[in-house]
Amino acid sequence: MINLRYLNFKTVALCNLILIFVFACSNEESDQDKVKDEAPFRNIDANESGLLFSNDLKDSGDLNIIEFLYYYNGGGVALGDINNDGLDDIFFTANQKPDKLFLNLGNLKFKDISEEAGISQISSWSTGVAMTDVNNDGLLDIYVCKVGNYKSLNGKNELYINQGNNRFEEQAAKYGIDFSGFSTQASFFDYDNDGDMDMYLMNHSIHSVYSYGNASARTKKDSLSGDLMFENKLFDGKVKFVDVTKQANIYSSALGYGLALATSDVNNDGYIDIYVGNDFHENDYLYLNQGNKTFKESAEDYFNHTTRFTMGVDIADITNNGKLDIVSLDMMPYNAEIFLKSGGEDSDKINQIKNSFGFQQQYARNHLQLNNGSYFVDAALITNTYATDWSWSPLLLDYNNDGLNDLFITNGIYKRPNDLDYIKYLSTLDFANYTETKQDSIELKLINTMPTLNLPNKLFTNANNLVFKSTSVDGKDGSTYSNGAAYSDLDNDGDLDIVINNINENATLLENKSSGNYLTVKLKNSINGAKVNLFANGKTYYKEQSTVKGYLSSSTSNLHFGLGETTKIDSLVVVWQDGLIVTKKDLAVNATVSIEKEGTSKYNLEKKDALNYQEFTFQHRENVFLDYEQDGLAPENLSLEGPSTVQADFNSDGLLDLYIGGARNQKPLLFLMGQDGNLKLSDTKIFDEDSRYEDTDAIALDIDSDGDLDIYALSGGNDYPNGHPLLEDRIYVNDGKGNFSKLESKLINTNGGSVSSHDFDNDGLVDLFIGNRAVPGAYGLSPQSYILKNKGNYTFEIYAKARFGMVTDSKWADIDEDGLSELIIVGDWMPITIMSFTSNGKFLDKTKEFGFGDTNGLWNVVEVADVNNDGKLDIIGGNVGLNFKWKASKDTPVKMYLDDFDENEKLDQLIFYDFFGKYVPFASKDKLVEQMPYLRKQYTDYKSFASVSNITDLTDKPEEEIINIKYLYELRSMIFLNDGAKFNSMALPNQAQLSTLEDIIVEKDKIVFTGNHNGFVTELGEASSNSGGILFTENLENIKYQSLDLPNGIRGRKILKLKENEYLVVTNNGKSYRTGL
Amino acid sequence: MKSLRHCLYLTILVLVASCNKPAEPIEITPEVFHVSVDKVMDIQIHDIFSPPVASRVFVYPNIAAYEILAQKTNEMSSLAGKVNELTSIPMAEESKNINLELAAIIAHMELSKSLIFSEEKMEVLQDSLYADWQEKNEPEFNTAKTYAFEVVKHIKQWMDADNYNQTRTMPKFTVDTDDPSRWQPTPPSYMDGIEPHWNKIRTFVLDSAAQFKPITHPTFSLEKGSKFYQELMEVYDVSKEITAKGNDSEEIEIAQFWDCNPFVSVTRGHFMFATKKISPGAHWIGIVKIASRKSNADVAQTVNAYTKTSIAIADAFISCWDEKYRSNLIRPETLINQHIDPDWLPILQTPPFPEYTSGHSVVSGAASTALTAIFGDNFQFDDDTEVPFGLPIRSFDSFNLAAEEAAVSRLYGGIHYRAAIDVGLTQGRNVGNLIVERIKMKFE
Repeated sequence: MINLRYLNFKTVALCNLILIFVFACSNEESDQDKVKDEAPFRNIDANESGLLFSNDLKDSGDLNIIEFLYYYNGGGVALGDINNDGLDDIFFTANQKPDKLFLNLGNLKFKDISEEAGISQISSWSTGVAMTDVNNDGLLDIYVCKVGNYKSLNGKNELYINQGNNRFEEQAAKYGIDFSGFSTQASFFDYDNDGDMDMYLMNHSIHSVYSYGNASARTKKDSLSGDLMFENKLFDGKVKFVDVTKQANIYSSALGYGLALATSDVNNDGYIDIYVGNDFHENDYLYLNQGNKTFKESAEDYFNHTTRFTMGVDIADITNNGKLDIVSLDMMPYNAEIFLKSGGEDSDKINQIKNSFGFQQQYARNHLQLNNGSYFVDAALITNTYATDWSWSPLLLDYNNDGLNDLFITNGIYKRPNDLDYIKYLSTLDFANYTETKQDSIELKLINTMPTLNLPNKLFTNANNLVFKSTSVDGKDGSTYSNGAAYSDLDNDGDLDIVINNINENATLLENKSSGNYLTVKLKNSINGAKVNLFANGKTYYKEQSTVKGYLSSSTSNLHFGLGETTKIDSLVVVWQDGLIVTKKDLAVNATVSIEKEGTSKYNLEKKDALNYQEFTFQHRENVFLDYEQDGLAPENLSLEGPSTVQADFNSDGLLDLYIGGARNQKPLLFLMGQDGNLKLSDTKIFDEDSRYEDTDAIALDIDSDGDLDIYALSGGNDYPNGHPLLEDRIYVNDGKGNFSKLESKLINTNGGSVSSHDFDNDGLVDLFIGNRAVPGAYGLSPQSYILKNKGNYTFEIYAKARFGMVTDSKWADIDEDGLSELIIVGDWMPITIMSFTSNGKFLDKTKEFGFGDTNGLWNVVEVADVNNDGKLDIIGGNVGLNFKWKASKDTPVKMYLDDFDENEKLDQLIFYDFFGKYVPFASKDKLVEQMPYLRKQYTDYKSFASVSNITDLTDKPEEEIINIKYLYELRSMIFLNDGAKFNSMALPNQAQLSTLEDIIVEKDKIVFTGNHNGFVTELGEASSNSGGILFTENLENIKYQSLDLPNGIRGRKILKLKENEYLVVTNNGKSYRTGL
Repeated sequence: MKSLRHCLYLTILVLVASCNKPAEPIEITPEVFHVSVDKVMDIQIHDIFSPPVASRVFVYPNIAAYEILAQKTNEMSSLAGKVNELTSIPMAEESKNINLELAAIIAHMELSKSLIFSEEKMEVLQDSLYADWQEKNEPEFNTAKTYAFEVVKHIKQWMDADNYNQTRTMPKFTVDTDDPSRWQPTPPSYMDGIEPHWNKIRTFVLDSAAQFKPITHPTFSLEKGSKFYQELMEVYDVSKEITAKGNDSEEIEIAQFWDCNPFVSVTRGHFMFATKKISPGAHWIGIVKIASRKSNADVAQTVNAYTKTSIAIADAFISCWDEKYRSNLIRPETLINQHIDPDWLPILQTPPFPEYTSGHSVVSGAASTALTAIFGDNFQFDDDTEVPFGLPIRSFDSFNLAAEEAAVSRLYGGIHYRAAIDVGLTQGRNVGNLIVERIKMKFE
């Protein structure tokens, strides 16, 4: 009795190993040959450069990852010219070894001068480092942060004052900044524009996460963990930094797990602001400098959501719109197996609880926050920069000198405490024996059980228009545990080199081998904050001098402009922090230009215009119903529908009035348009009784052919079963003057999605299409939808019915100009569906014939209009967009398997999607076993679950036996151009793909839209990056985009045109807004 | 490894068999049952079963073993007809001369294995015992095993109709955040309310989940003079008082001894994880073992004690959970943090379900009543159930006194108001008395 299973497994594993090995080898060879020349960086050996430095960690009794959660957070790098010889030198911090200062000898050779320079060679857990001139003597000083006052660690933060001649003297105590606590990083900048460098000291926390507590805990002072703001009194003639934390309105609590720090004037008002990235549940802080030595924490007003486990941050212009964007890093894995066995997003319930405690929305993935001048929207998902595993330093630098800032990211954690099997192992550990005597051996065992995983660092090349391409760094992409990193042109050859501090490995020096034109700007005697605009070749490049960025590190103070093919610079405008302007004209490229602060002309701050919109009196109030407590595996909440709107002349005065249908427990409202152009609420008693219905759609139609417009109100909501009286539709009959009575008649009572009307059989009576949204309690199934023929006298008969899909919108139009109408239906998990009415009285499905066969998407809206002015009707579809966690194409669709897999007479939705090249189940193992308990026996650990890559792996059921499979092939919002025979698709530009498109108005040469949706489960995240915009479609090859003036992150649901260039946007569960062009 | 050992046993077996050693009868001691129950308890902790689900894992294997033994001894009578929807198991054929005690333990382990998740852990125990029995007397073992599997099949059919599977995917408990008296998830892990549909599980002896519906709790009120507010303040004051006394105080020792919360979360480093603890039901199952051993119970008496107590516990959970999600009362921790002291932490971690009535009180009331009926009142015992979890031994003069201490421990722990404890204990004793009355053993 040999155990065959065991043997087999071993053999298979071995075979796999060999296969992988062979494959990897051949792969590497061909790839390497290709990239050898193309790889932008050369990794220079430490023995060659002389940079013999390694942040080695060795567990000691009271210091290890169990005892100190930031044990593997690593060390930093500072680059700056300490001896003013034109070459930036390097300072490395170490945790358990001495910090080191290396002098740049030129040609990428370095010399360790730590001891002779007077750098303390006592190891005392250094963290972040910044180089700056704190005493305005023209020499760079060095400030080193430490963890002290904790267990055996007793270090104090150090300030090395540059004495000249490569000599430093430690004077932190003299300057009053010899803090001892949990320091992460300090940034020096002039917060009060008085000409000296003030300091923000960011500290982290070891505060237990026992309770999420309330966000108000951030007002409680903590002397070891709380952040501090110091004012430099140099301008007053004193050698002292004074603690101004409280007066400056800086939070200084144990809730601040500060790991990321950058200081820049993000709102361009001439005062430097602060971004603090906090780990765990505490929000990131955006402190806006009020110009009077105080700050206002404003993250909630500027971001829809931020990174959750924020670890590094950089601020620079990514889109070349002259505004500073923000990248912050988190820890989402990109390898499918690691992803499936790591802790990810909070459950929807926990997310809800955190929100109720006053914390803002956070997601555990990288964020690329784009600045539009008024607020930020996240574009990490559309740029595919959102998952780079456990990530530390983001550096926004133009490595290839093409004029666009690229993104470099260091990553790796020496031990992965978020491995779910490890966490499960912890829970079975016998803590009864966790006594002091046995502590060390238990912890050692724990640490050894914690998985290790090193990863190559990541480089994303900015290809413009929100496209980033993952690029090999050096052609080898060896795996490291990399933390702090900084950039500078260390060999003065016109491109930016990168230095990285690694754990248990020599520091990395990446020599940049790019060509491309450039200009390096050196600002003499500058303090951080100078703004530099470079004008060349009709383009503007904008940079702000700010050295602390990435993680635990500070980069060069020189400003490096990549210029691509540009050979002449028209002008360079430097705005110093105090507003003084220096302009240089006609500069040559490929040079370093030194600029002195001179002259007297002052810069006039470009006051940002407030967003131009007005609130409208209607407010939509959604009832609370949490679908996921009923449909545990559904990816979205379907009970967040509405409001419905109908714009029509109800009182026959030639003006367009407005009907708005509310959510459950909110009555419909009728607004009549007055001659003055204002909408006035009309007193319509009849609606009062119908507040219990949730309106999902409504239309105006002359149902009784009496010459006025009646209303068909479609009821819906996912909170009642089909057939429930509260799902019954309603008809309101108009007396011609805008007075309505409710038609006493039995109407359809299903969860409606869309209603549209058209006299398809040309009998003079207007007919109806009722498209249904979902079967309540069974997400994914296609409910029955109906075509109703108007028989006159308020009676309808079902003319045709079919399960088209989860319908959201429908339109009638004769798109093939045969005199008979087509019905165009869109919805979730379905293609843009064309039902053609034919002369034999039947509706035929012509979806494929018209070219829509592969358009299965999550469509919200469809419009029919002639977009390209060729006389033929085109189709415009609003989809979920590309700024979305799921990616889909015809070859790699998102698949949803619908079946009762656990045979409990309830539908299960098992979704698989392509995750960076490998299919993974959408639901986590925890969620799956909760819904399908039998899987708990199949997958007793996360490791076994992590290898699941298709439905058969998971359920033992082959695809062909599954009741129903639905697909998503297309997530983009699209235009389909009618060529007379079929429709040819083109995607809307990327700015319109930043969020869902919820409603569209097509005008001549214009598509106006509103967007955003927050019904997705937390794992997918809310879509909030585009409240609304206008696409100018005169030239379809080059569609221009402009955003609508609307608040950030509103959940736009309907957009209506009030008059030329004025629109009304109605939101789901929120206010309504009038906005214009 | 497991298979390797199996393989080794087989080899030995073949060798032994070829030596023609005469087969010896297989003798089953009560200890084998204790070992099987202990194993189930271990695995429960590993698999993290919630207290109600854990009670279900104990009861069915016990009933299977009991029904097999009830044929043999005149002292026990079948539960068929006494326990809801249970029909007679297939009878053992006289001619086959089946070792019923052996069949009972095999059925116990098989059914246990199907109820827990980490089957391989149960298999380790089974493999070693089976190998041992096979070696002793292969024919006897095989006959008993075949019969045991027939019974397991019968019990499983009955078990599978108890609505457990259906309740798995019923809607989660929706928290009404607007009502100040309603239960809210509690720190640190803010878990959903567990098992909101447990009252839909088929009862064993109770006619319905609501048979012993307790009186309503004091009306929710934050008025200073109200009964409810007084009870709320009592939790706060008692907790402050005993905290001041320190960790060695009797009250804190009692609270920790009876904690029995399998959901306790600990935060270290980046993530939160659970520590292992047994459930309240498991603690009382542990006391069954102690009492059986102390009274030198034979196999039948041991299985009888396990069965009756585990039925009492299972019905107690159904009865208690019925009330918990009927009254949906908010926990003291939430109210104290909201209205009295935002920094207050209960001595024990608040378990994730509504407050009223106290689960431990109901279960202790029911289990102690069953145990008193079996082993008598004033049965002195030393309770070492919590020793593996680093807690000391506590000694009790009777099961009832132990139950009363278990109940009041929830007040000391800061997780229950007085009413939930007093009413809960009564509720549990009512459940226990019904069970004692309904399923009298012949020798009692």
